[in-house]
Amino acid sequence: MKNWGAAVFLPAAAFALLVSAPAAAQEKTGNKAGFSIAPGTARIVLMRPSVKVGEQSTGGMFEPNADWTAQARENLGKAIAATQGRLGNIVVDYEEPNGADTAAVAEYRNLFSTVANSVITYQFFPGNRLPTKKRDDAFEWTLGPDIAALPGMAGNDYALFITTEDHYGSAGRKAAQIFAAFAGVSVPTGVHKGYAGLVDLKTGELVWLNADLKMGGDVRTAEGAQKRVEQLFEGFPGRTGIPQTVTAGN
Amino acid sequence: MRGTLAARAAIAAVAALLPAAIAGAEVRAPAPLPPYAQAYEPTTVDERGLWMEVDEVERKLRDSRFVIKDQKLVDYVQGVLCRTVGDDRCRAVRIYVVRDTAFNASMAPNGMMVVHSGLLLRVKDEAELGSVLGHEFGHFELRHSLNGFKQRRTASDVMTWLAILAPNTGGALATGIAGSAFAFSRGQEQDADMLGLSYLAASPYPSASAANVWERLMAEQDATAAGRKRKAQHRYSAGFFASHPTELTRATYLREAAARAPDPGDAAQAAYRATMAAFLPDFLDDQIKLNDFGGTEYLLNQLAGDQWTPQLLYARGELYRQRGNPRDLVSAAQFYQEAIAKGYAGAEAQRGLGLSLMRSQQVEQGRAALQEYLKLKPDAADASLISTLVAN
Repeated sequence: MKNWGAAVFLPAAAFALLVSAPAAAQEKTGNKAGFSIAPGTARIVLMRPSVKVGEQSTGGMFEPNADWTAQARENLGKAIAATQGRLGNIVVDYEEPNGADTAAVAEYRNLFSTVANSVITYQFFPGNRLPTKKRDDAFEWTLGPDIAALPGMAGNDYALFITTEDHYGSAGRKAAQIFAAFAGVSVPTGVHKGYAGLVDLKTGELVWLNADLKMGGDVRTAEGAQKRVEQLFEGFPGRTGIPQTVTAGN
Repeated sequence: MRGTLAARAAIAAVAALLPAAIAGAEVRAPAPLPPYAQAYEPTTVDERGLWMEVDEVERKLRDSRFVIKDQKLVDYVQGVLCRTVGDDRCRAVRIYVVRDTAFNASMAPNGMMVVHSGLLLRVKDEAELGSVLGHEFGHFELRHSLNGFKQRRTASDVMTWLAILAPNTGGALATGIAGSAFAFSRGQEQDADMLGLSYLAASPYPSASAANVWERLMAEQDATAAGRKRKAQHRYSAGFFASHPTELTRATYLREAAARAPDPGDAAQAAYRATMAAFLPDFLDDQIKLNDFGGTEYLLNQLAGDQWTPQLLYARGELYRQRGNPRDLVSAAQFYQEAIAKGYAGAEAQRGLGLSLMRSQQVEQGRAALQEYLKLKPDAADASLISTLVAN
C-alpha cells in the first residue's frame, strides 16, 4: 500500500524514480530494401510537424511552454529545408485543406502515427519482431496508395512526417536528481524524443523511418535545431550514386 | 536523522496544501458572477503553455469524424449556453458535439467546449442542459485547468522530495498530499456547480433543474446495477481518490441552494424535444449497443413518460431483441408491432419484427415480415443475408 496513492495520482512522479530506460537494444532506423530516391529534384511535402517543447517539473510533470514550442517550430522548419536542400530536394509545407477533406487528412496523420508506432514496437525491437518482419531486409509497411489522392498532394513525390517532443529538466528536477543520486536512486531528467518518416506518394509505402527516444540538440536554438534535424534524418534514403547515409549524427 | 529533518520540512510544505483537503463538505451559497473579460489572452508561462496544448487538441478534434457536423445542432446547443451564461460570455465559445454515449461535457481553458451525445440523450430540457453547460463554463471562467495543473505540480514536487529525502517516513505524508490534490479537484467541482447555479438563476431557466440531472443519473445507475444483478450504492462522502463530489452530494447541495432562492422559469422542454428528434435514432442506437439493459430501459421510460412514440417503441424492441431471452423476443415483437401500428416509417422495424418472430418459432409470420423488409429496402446492406433466411 505504501506509495500506492502516489503511483495512482502521478505515474510520472512515482515511476520516474523506479524505472530506468530499457531502450538499449533498440534499432533506430529502417529503410525499404533497395529503395533510393529517383534522380532529379524530389519534391517533398512536409506535413505539419508535431512539436512539443516544455519543462519537466521536479515531480516529472510536463509543463508545456508556448514560446519554446514556437521557437522550435520555426528553427526546425528552417533546418529541415536547409538539410534537404543540400540533398537537392525541395521541401514544401503541406497546405491544409478546408471543409470535408480535413477529416481525411487527419485520418492519414493518425494512420501514419499508428504505422510508425507499429514499426517501432514490432520491427525496431529485434526480440519483439513479428514473424513477417524477421528477414533482415524486410521493411514492408504502407499507408496505402490512396494517400496520393489527398488534396494538395498532386505534383509531389514524397510526404514527410516529423514529430518531436522535448521536456527540459527544470532546476528543481536537476536538484532532485543530484540529491537522489546521493541516496542511490536514479532520477532521470529530461525527455527528448522524435521520429521522422518518409512516404512514397506513388505507392503509399513507408520507405524510411527513424525513431530515437534520446535525441540531442536543443531545439530552442537554431544550431541545436540543426543538430536535431541531422539526427532525425539519420539513414534518410539518398539517390543512387550518392552515399546512402546522409549524416551519421553530428 | 536526515530523514526526520526533511520530513519536518515536508510537513510544513504539506500544511500549505491541506486547507483545500479539509474544505469542501459544507454547503456554499451560489457564487456571485465574476466580471467578464472579452477576448482574454493567456498571460503567464504556465497558462500560455496550457493554451498551446489545448489549441493542438482542438485542431485534432475539429477534424475528427466523431464530431457531429450539424450546424443546426451546434447552433442550438450554443443558444442554450448563451441563454444560460449570457450573450457576451458565450460568443467566443466553440462547441463540438461528439458522438459518444458518455454522460459528459468538458470545457478547455482556451474556450473549446465538448458536449457528448450521451448528455444530450439524458437531459430532458434546455434548463437541464444549461445547468451542465453552465457548470463547465464555470470551470472555464474560474480558470480551473490552470489552477488544478499548478496544484498537481506542487503536490508532485513535494512528493518527489519526500521520496528522496524521507523514504521511510514519507509514505503516509505522500498519501495525504495525493488526497489533498483530489480534494482540491472536488472543491473545484463544487465551485463550478455553484457558479453554474448562479448562471442558471440569472437565466430564463429555473435553477431547480440543476439537481434533476444528478437525481436521474443516480436512478439510472441503480437501474444499470439492478440489470447486472449488482447492488447500487450512493454515498454522501466522496472516496479518497474521487475527482468529483458524489452525485448524491451534488444533488443535495444543488437542491438546497436552489430552494433557498427559488426562481420559476420555463425549462423549454418542448423546444428541446423538437430539436433532438432528428438525432434521437442515432443516439438511441449508440446507447443500445452499450449492452446495458437496465440503464437503457430506464432511459427509454424516462424519454417516453406516458407517451411511447413509434421511435421509442422501435428502440425498445431493439433493446429486448438484443438481450434475446425467449420472453424478450416475444416482448420485442410486440414493441415492433406497436411501433409499426403507430406509423414507424423505417423498414428496419419489419426486419427486427421478422427476426424476433423467427426465433420465437413463428416462422411463417417472421418470414412475411422479412419479405416486407426486403420489399421496402431492396438495397439494404444485409439484403442477401436476410433473403437466405426467407428462402429456407
